[in-house]
Amino acid sequence: MTAVQAPRKPSHGPHSPDWKNALFVAPYLFFFVTLLVFPLFWGIWLSFHKADTFSSGPFVGFGNYVRLFNDKVFLQSVGNTFYFVLLTVPTLALIGLFLALALNARTRTATVLRSLFFFSSVLSVTIVTLIWRIVFIPQFGLLATVYGWFGATAPAFVSDPNLAMIAVAMATIWWCLGLPMMLFLSALQQIPGDIYEAAALDNASRWRTLTAITLPSIKRTFALVIIIQIVLQFQLFGQAWLMTRGGPNNVTKPIVLYIYDTAFRRWDLGLGAAASEVLFVLILLAAMAQYLISRRKEDL
Amino acid sequence: MSSGLSNSRSFGDRVILALVIALSIVMLAPALWVIALSFKDNAELMANPNSVFHPPYIIQNYINIVGTSAVFRWILNSLIVSIGLTVGTLVLSSLAGYGFARLNFPGRDILFVVVLFGLAVPEQAVLVARHQIFSILKFHNTYQGIILPGLSSAFGVFLMTQYFRAIPKELDEAAMLDNASRFRVFWKVLLPLTLPAQATLGIFTFLGAWNDYFWPLISATKKEMFTLTVGMASTQTNFAQSEGIGYLMAQAVFAGAPIFIVYLFFQKYIVTAVSGAAVR
Amino acid sequence: MSAEIEIRNVSKSFGSAKVLENLSLSIPGHEFVVFLGPSGCGKSTLLRMIAGLESVEDGEILINGERIDHLPPGQRGVAMVFQSYALYPHMTVRQNMTFGLENINVAKDVIDARVADAARMLEIGHLLDRKPGQLSGGQRQRVAIGRAVVKEPNAFLFDEPLSNLDAALRTRTRIELAQLHQRLRSTMIFVTHDQIEAMTLADRIVVMNNKKIEQIGAPMEIYDRPATRFVAGFVGTPQMNFLDVTAARPGALGLSVACGPKLSIDTAVAPDVAGEVASLGIRAEAVSLAAPGEGQADGVIDVLERLGDRSLAHVRLDDGQMVVANESGQTRLGVGARVALRFDGTKAHLFDGAGKAYHGREAAP
Repeated sequence: MTAVQAPRKPSHGPHSPDWKNALFVAPYLFFFVTLLVFPLFWGIWLSFHKADTFSSGPFVGFGNYVRLFNDKVFLQSVGNTFYFVLLTVPTLALIGLFLALALNARTRTATVLRSLFFFSSVLSVTIVTLIWRIVFIPQFGLLATVYGWFGATAPAFVSDPNLAMIAVAMATIWWCLGLPMMLFLSALQQIPGDIYEAAALDNASRWRTLTAITLPSIKRTFALVIIIQIVLQFQLFGQAWLMTRGGPNNVTKPIVLYIYDTAFRRWDLGLGAAASEVLFVLILLAAMAQYLISRRKEDL
Repeated sequence: MSSGLSNSRSFGDRVILALVIALSIVMLAPALWVIALSFKDNAELMANPNSVFHPPYIIQNYINIVGTSAVFRWILNSLIVSIGLTVGTLVLSSLAGYGFARLNFPGRDILFVVVLFGLAVPEQAVLVARHQIFSILKFHNTYQGIILPGLSSAFGVFLMTQYFRAIPKELDEAAMLDNASRFRVFWKVLLPLTLPAQATLGIFTFLGAWNDYFWPLISATKKEMFTLTVGMASTQTNFAQSEGIGYLMAQAVFAGAPIFIVYLFFQKYIVTAVSGAAVR
Repeated sequence: MSAEIEIRNVSKSFGSAKVLENLSLSIPGHEFVVFLGPSGCGKSTLLRMIAGLESVEDGEILINGERIDHLPPGQRGVAMVFQSYALYPHMTVRQNMTFGLENINVAKDVIDARVADAARMLEIGHLLDRKPGQLSGGQRQRVAIGRAVVKEPNAFLFDEPLSNLDAALRTRTRIELAQLHQRLRSTMIFVTHDQIEAMTLADRIVVMNNKKIEQIGAPMEIYDRPATRFVAGFVGTPQMNFLDVTAARPGALGLSVACGPKLSIDTAVAPDVAGEVASLGIRAEAVSLAAPGEGQADGVIDVLERLGDRSLAHVRLDDGQMVVANESGQTRLGVGARVALRFDGTKAHLFDGAGKAYHGREAAP
């Protein structure tokens, strides 16, 4: 191994650089380069070309981007995505935080309830949307039934343009609630117990303990949860596609669904690629914010 | 702790308890509703939606799945894809994690930073180009077509690198003094110690592959190559019409049950995996 | 089995920080050598270079006349006991001990015999099927030694192996290590910052400081004739008293030095170094208490440390200097008592400005 020695060079220790060591990372790097790095750059290249499934046509410069920003549906899908993020992210963070605070106990009840609030996270988007379509469906739906008990008629969540996105958001919150709760719980459990003992000796009330000790200790986690959720919810696709097909009138069509429609249903790969680069930039901004926050550990 | 459920007496505690109960009902009701529907006769449901609250409950819908549905083929596809991706990810990530954490080679640190950048690249940014590449390679509607993109994920490499770094270096050194080769140090000494990380990464990868909807939807367009997630979605288009709500709900329960059982058994690992993945 | 180890002009740096500078050392077979020094002096690095865990930047390391500094760690015929023990957590005690032998395809019956021997010698026979996590600190320590013993190495390398044990266990293990050395007669190199470990275990001590070797010698030689002011201060408890020398002239025994206006001490150091002398060092056991006026200097006891068999009196001299003196365990004196100090000048050491030591003739062992 390291016994191979270059003439008149200092001897090799086990920690000296050696090309052969790279063999351990080579298999992964092969997939990393061919399926991530290369497609990333090819995608950028494609966004400047007119392209279909198998071949790429002529160079069109910023033509695809110009078309994109002149496309009302695309602009609407960007707006829809932001609206959706605004609906889901704060709700997820606040309910997640509340549940974490309420269920941060070593009792059996708390353990069971934590599992209950997390179980939906392991389901696939297909099952989640199936469940929620049944909830919202007129006449047979859970919502319709509950409204029926009070002699009322449930609003047509999925087909009303004003409510459709809210319906998608509700299903999403139900589906994704487990993660923020667990992140907050693990942050709460990292607060050293002796701080609470010190606070008790200082005669702090429970409310004061919460606002002066617990919440400041998980400030950083709160910021991280927000950004993680922004990145995740920006990629909304399955719920919108399966619950509403983006309708009615494109009001629930997010960017990813626009990309899917453009690239894989209308086969306008150049335009699809351009739209995906726009999404990439938006997500990259959020990811950079996450990086900065995880770096600023000490200040927070 | 500050606000556990255990020491409840005060007004504040009652409010918290009421809220938690309300949220639990919201969590549980849709799932129970779906399960109840799956045991009802379609015709009876059509006649009276409220019939879900009383017997007769039947298992005919489940029998119909076993008899007619393509669900089994899709489950098989999902198993092949998920296991393939999980095994591949574990092998690649363990090797690379050891390499980045323990071995020195020219350019290692820069390479690692580049791989970390890979974490920030969303699937959508590479999707169109990947699709075109796989069209040229004729990978669509094949298992490798569905599996391979997942192998480029940097998350496993990152997780394993962190884990290898946390193992004391003296163990490697003791093994080197014990005449173990590089690979033997990796295989006999360090790898067994990473089992908890392997479990976490394995479950996370499996779950992700099993539930993935986007790429399989794009790559697998033939019905017999659908994964369970895509297949289930494809049956939803003729919602509440030809096959009936009860049948659809039975499919949903049938498809959700395996993953739910896995969740019950590996809850601890799943929670660690999912939260660990998010924090990275 | 035993090996001569020869280190020739070895240097090492980590990045831009030099940790060893042109260091040479020769260790005969069978010897128990202790590398002693404060943390960061390079002693562990030197040990790891012998083991092959650090590369040798410049210079050579030879075992039994053969250059080994380019060989991988496993092929140098050395065994190491780590500070953290570094036992393989997922293997049983037996597997920990056999792993290295299996790697070089030692016959099964030989392996079994060696493990049985080592287990008997270290009294760990009943632990062989346990995992390290189920053992106490002392037991882990024994297993780590056992893992080294079964390899029948040319040399044993110990990297502060006692520092994770509690005080009582440390003393016991120290004695057992000494017995182990007598039994195996192997070359052993032991790294520590604990001078008591060094004094009790070593045939020879290598005192290191700041990238260099300060002194190599038998324990009592190091204690009685420290080569430098650093060694004099590092070895021995309580620390040697150091007094600044203000003047030096030939006296009755040798050089008579003045430490301040009122204190002068007759040393046995040859008078020809008068010009270089900068400070005087004298251990507490060479300073005794007397009634005021009956010694070389008067002062007041500031602190009295009662150790049982003896007491240490920290005396503040009238000119402000602090000196620690030996006093009997039964002393009636207390804090605040006025006393005189008697210095046994024959046991004093003188140091020049660079720290080089000069000793009196009588101080020789």
